Amino acid sequence: MATAPHSIRNFPWRILHWPVQLGLTKLGLGRFFYGQGPEPGPIILTSRRVYILPTRMGLSYALLLLILLLSAINYNNNLTYALSFLLTSIGLLAMLHSYRNLLHLQINIGTPKAVFCGDYAQVPITLENRRQPSSYAISLQIPEQPAATVQIVQQQPLEAAVPMCTTQRGRHAVPRIHISSVFPLGLFRVWAHAQQPRYQLVYPAPDQHPARPHQSNYQASLAGDRGRGADDFAGLRSYHPGDSLRHIHWKAAARSETLYTKEFGGDRCEELWLDWDQLPQLDTEARLSRLTRWVLDASRTQLRYGLRLPGTRIVPSTGPEHQRCCLKALALFNQQPSDPMRP
Amino acid sequence: MKTLTQRLRRVTTANLWLLAGLLVALLPHLQRIPLIISATAALLLGWRMGHELQYLRLPSWPLRWLLALLAAIIIYGTFHSLVGRQAGVALLILLLGLKLLEMNDQRDFSMACYLGFFLISTVFLFTQSILIGLFMFLATTLLLTALIARYRGPEYVGRGHLSEHASLDKAGLMVLQALPLTILLFVLFPRIPGPLWQLPNDGSSAKTGISDSMSPGMISQLSNDNSIAFRVLFDRAPPPPAQLYWRGPVLTVFDGRTWFNPNHDKPWPKVGRRSRYRALNAPVSYTVTLEPHQQRWLFALDLPAMLPVGSSLSSDYEIIARNNVEQLRRYDMQSYPYYTLAQTEVPPERPYLQLPAGVGPQAHVLARELLAQAGSKAAMVEQVLQFFRQQPFYYTRQPPLLLGDPIDEFLFDSQRGYCEHYAASFVFLMRAAGIPARVVTGYRGGEMNPLSDYFMVRQSDAHAWAEVWLGGKGWQRVDPTTVIPASRIENQLDRLRFSPGSTSLSSLSWTSLAWRQLGFNWDRVNRAWNQWMINYNNRRQQDFLQKIMSRFGFSDIDWQTMLLTLLLFLFVILAVYAWWLLQRSERKRPQDPVQRSYTHYCHKLARSGLARNVAEGAWDFAQRTQQHFPEHGKAIIEIAHLYNRLRYAPWPRQEDVHRLQKAVRHFPGRIKRPQSSQ
Repeated sequence: MATAPHSIRNFPWRILHWPVQLGLTKLGLGRFFYGQGPEPGPIILTSRRVYILPTRMGLSYALLLLILLLSAINYNNNLTYALSFLLTSIGLLAMLHSYRNLLHLQINIGTPKAVFCGDYAQVPITLENRRQPSSYAISLQIPEQPAATVQIVQQQPLEAAVPMCTTQRGRHAVPRIHISSVFPLGLFRVWAHAQQPRYQLVYPAPDQHPARPHQSNYQASLAGDRGRGADDFAGLRSYHPGDSLRHIHWKAAARSETLYTKEFGGDRCEELWLDWDQLPQLDTEARLSRLTRWVLDASRTQLRYGLRLPGTRIVPSTGPEHQRCCLKALALFNQQPSDPMRP
Repeated sequence: MKTLTQRLRRVTTANLWLLAGLLVALLPHLQRIPLIISATAALLLGWRMGHELQYLRLPSWPLRWLLALLAAIIIYGTFHSLVGRQAGVALLILLLGLKLLEMNDQRDFSMACYLGFFLISTVFLFTQSILIGLFMFLATTLLLTALIARYRGPEYVGRGHLSEHASLDKAGLMVLQALPLTILLFVLFPRIPGPLWQLPNDGSSAKTGISDSMSPGMISQLSNDNSIAFRVLFDRAPPPPAQLYWRGPVLTVFDGRTWFNPNHDKPWPKVGRRSRYRALNAPVSYTVTLEPHQQRWLFALDLPAMLPVGSSLSSDYEIIARNNVEQLRRYDMQSYPYYTLAQTEVPPERPYLQLPAGVGPQAHVLARELLAQAGSKAAMVEQVLQFFRQQPFYYTRQPPLLLGDPIDEFLFDSQRGYCEHYAASFVFLMRAAGIPARVVTGYRGGEMNPLSDYFMVRQSDAHAWAEVWLGGKGWQRVDPTTVIPASRIENQLDRLRFSPGSTSLSSLSWTSLAWRQLGFNWDRVNRAWNQWMINYNNRRQQDFLQKIMSRFGFSDIDWQTMLLTLLLFLFVILAVYAWWLLQRSERKRPQDPVQRSYTHYCHKLARSGLARNVAEGAWDFAQRTQQHFPEHGKAIIEIAHLYNRLRYAPWPRQEDVHRLQKAVRHFPGRIKRPQSSQ
C-alpha cells in the first residue's frame, strides 16, 4: 500500500516503458534495469549483480559536504575542514557498507499459494547470508507493488513474503523481485533483481451475486443411501471395536448377547453439477466468476459437486483437494500452457 | 493514562539519538546566543520531545509558518540583521527547531541531521579548542547513530532483536573506519589560502588582551587572567628574561586619565620611517603563535628586524596586521635585542612632550625639583627611578581606585600601583621635565614550559613600561616597575617575575606546584593541537609534505602532485576496505559455547596422547579416559556428565555451561603419564 505513489510518479514514463526496455536491452543494459530473467537454482547476489547509485538524499549530502568545504576554505577553519573530511570519509564508507548489505545474499523464491483474483498473493522468499553477519532494512518488492521490509540478524535464514496484487486469473509467472536497501545512511541505494521460474495460480474472483444453481441440477445420488454420514438412520450392523459408544444400539444389546451399531446414511444424498452451459447470458469471465462462487458455496455446504466446462469435466466429489482441482480448472480455462522458462 | 515508562518505551530510538546529537551540538552555542534564542530553541526541542512522549501534537502547517515568521522576527529584533555570524547561527538553530516540528519521513530526518552537521561547523567559527573538537566529534557520532537507527527502519518482519545500542555500535565502527581516510584527506587535501569572499564582520567577538588605550586599572584587570596570549618558540637559546619585552601598542597622548594613540583610529596607521640602527649581535629568531585577540597588534621583541607577512610597521615601531587577528596566527620573527640607534636620529616631534593642562600640578613641581637635582636630562631618568625606589611605593595587583587626579594621587597619596601606574607617572614626570617619552604596552617575560621547549606568555604577563628619547641615544626603554624592591611586591608570583632570586618556587605550596605542573602538561597538549590541527595551513602543509617527500627523493611538491597522491592513497585505502568488508570468506556459524568447550577438552586430552574416536560418545570416551588417568577421574566424569546434561537434558541450564567451561579450563593441558602405567 505504501508504494502506490511509485506508479503515479512514473506515470509519464509508462507509455515509453516497452520501447525503452527494448532499447536498453539491445544496448546490453537490460540486466542493470530489468534483471536477467528467471534462474532455476538458488540465487546468490554476487558483486556482478548488485548495483549501487546515490539516492536523492545522497546528492543532498554531497551538497552539504561542498558547503562545509567552502566554509572551511573561506573561514580558514581547520576543524571545519576536519568535519567535512570526516563526513566525506563516512560517505565513502557508507557506499561500501550499503553494498555489503546485499552482497552474498542467498535467495530462494517459493511457489506462492493460489489466491482469488484481486487478492494479494504472498510470494514466499527465503533469504540467507552466510558471509555477512547481518543485513538490515532490505526492501523486497515486486515492481509497482507494495514492499516488504526485512532484516537478517546473525546469519539466521529468514522467511518472508512479498505481496503481489493479482488482476487476472490464470497461471502467471512470478515477476522479478526487486531487492533493495538504503541502509545505513540513506546515501546510496543498492539493488538487485531476482527471478525464479515460479508460478502464481490465480483463481477467478468469486462472483458477489448470491444466485444459486438451478434446483433441477440436484440429482439423487444412486449410492446416496449407503454413504456414511450423520443424518439419516440407515440400519444396524454388528459391532466392531472402535465404534462410537453413542452409536451402539443399547436397546438391542439389552435384548440379545451381541452388540449392534447403528449406521447412518450420507448427509445430502444429492449430487450437484455446476455447468458452464447454465449461464448462457454471461460472458466468459463472468461465467467463470459465477462458477467459482458456486464451487465455494458447494464446498461450504458439503455437497457433492462436479464441474462441467467446455472441454473439461470433473466428476462429483467433495473435499479440499476436489475444490482445488475445480478452482484450478476454472483458473486455467482457455489459457495456453506456458513455457516454464519464458514467462 | 499511560505512565512515563510506557510512553518512553514507544519513543523511536532514532529520534532520541537525533535530539541528543543536536543538544550536544547546541551546548557550546548556548553561552553565546542571546537568551531569547536559546529559550525559543528549547521550546521547539521540547515540543518535539513532548510529541515523542505522546503528550503533544505537532503543529499544523499554518501554525508552522506562523512560528517561522515569529522566529525571523525574533532574530531580526535581536540582531537587526539575518546574516552575519551571530544572526546566521541563530537563524540556523531556529530553522533546525522548526524542521524538527515537521519531521515525518526519512527525507525530513536526513535533512534535520544534515542541518545538525552544519550547526556543528558553526561552532568552530567561534572556538577551535581541543575540548570543543572532541565534544563535536561526539555530536557527529550521535547524529550518524540517529541516521543509522532511522534507516534501519522502525518496524521489521524479521526474527531477532536489535539491542538499543546496535546503531551506536555501527556508527562508532564507521567513524573508526573513517578516521584513516579523514587523516589522509586532512594532511593531503591542498589548502587554499582563504577567504574566497569578503566576510561580513559583525564585530561580535569580544576583544581580549591588551587594548589600544590605557587608564588606571586596565592592565591590572588582566593580572589574574591565566589564559595564553601567545606562545614563542626560539630557534636558539632565548634572550635573558630582562630582555623579554614583547612590544605592543605604543601610547603617546594623555588626556588626564587615559593614554591613547590617535594613530590607532586610522584605518591604516602612519608608516614610520625606519630608523637606522646598528645591531650589536646576531638577531634572535623565533616563531610566535598568537591567540586570536580580535585586534591588530602583533607582538615582537625589541627591535624587530623583519615584518611578518600582511603587516606593517607604524611610526612608533608597532607591528600592525592588516586585519584583526581572528584566528590563531603564527609568524616568524627576528629581533635585535642589543642595538644602538644611529646618531643621526632626529629629535621626535611634539606629541611626545604633550601633557594635558591642569593635570598633576604637584607632579610638575616634583619633576622640576628632580631635574634640578639631577642636573641633566640624561641623569633625570635615574633620578626618577631613585625616587620610586626610595619612597614607599608598593607593587600590588589590587591598586586603590584613583578617583581624583590619577598622577598626583598615585605619586603622593596611595603610592600603591600596578605597572600601568608606574609607567604612566614615569612618562608624565619625564615629559614634565621636557624629555620626550611614551608609554609602551605589551607583555613582559613569559614562562618556559619545562616539559617542552617553548615559552608561554599569558595575559597575566601584560605589562606597561616607558620609552624616553635621549639626545644622542635615541629611544631608550625604561621599566620603572623593576626598581621596586622585592619586599614591596605583594604578590608572590609577581615577585618571582620581577626580581628572581628574591623568592623561589619552593616557597610555593605543593598544591600550587602540582597545579602548575598540570598546567604545563595541558598547555603542551594545547600547543600540539594548535600546531597540527588549528594552524595547519597551506604553508605548513607545504613544509610538512616537503619534508616527507624529500625523504623519498622528490624535490618539489605542488598542489597537483598533492591531489594526485591524495587520490592514489584514497583509492588504495578504499580498496583495502572493500576487500576487507566485501570479500569476506564464508563464515562458520557462531559455534555454541558447549561444543567449543568440549572440543577444547578433547584437544587437551589428544595432546596427552588420548584422542577421542569419531564415533565415540562422551560417556564411553570418559570411561576409557578414566582408566588411563585415574588421578583425574573426578574431573573427567564431571565433564562428561555436564556435557551430556547440556546436550540431552530437556532444559539445559545456563550455570552448567559455566561449570563446564570452568572444569575444562582447570583440566591439565598435558598429563604426564605415570611410569607405572605400562
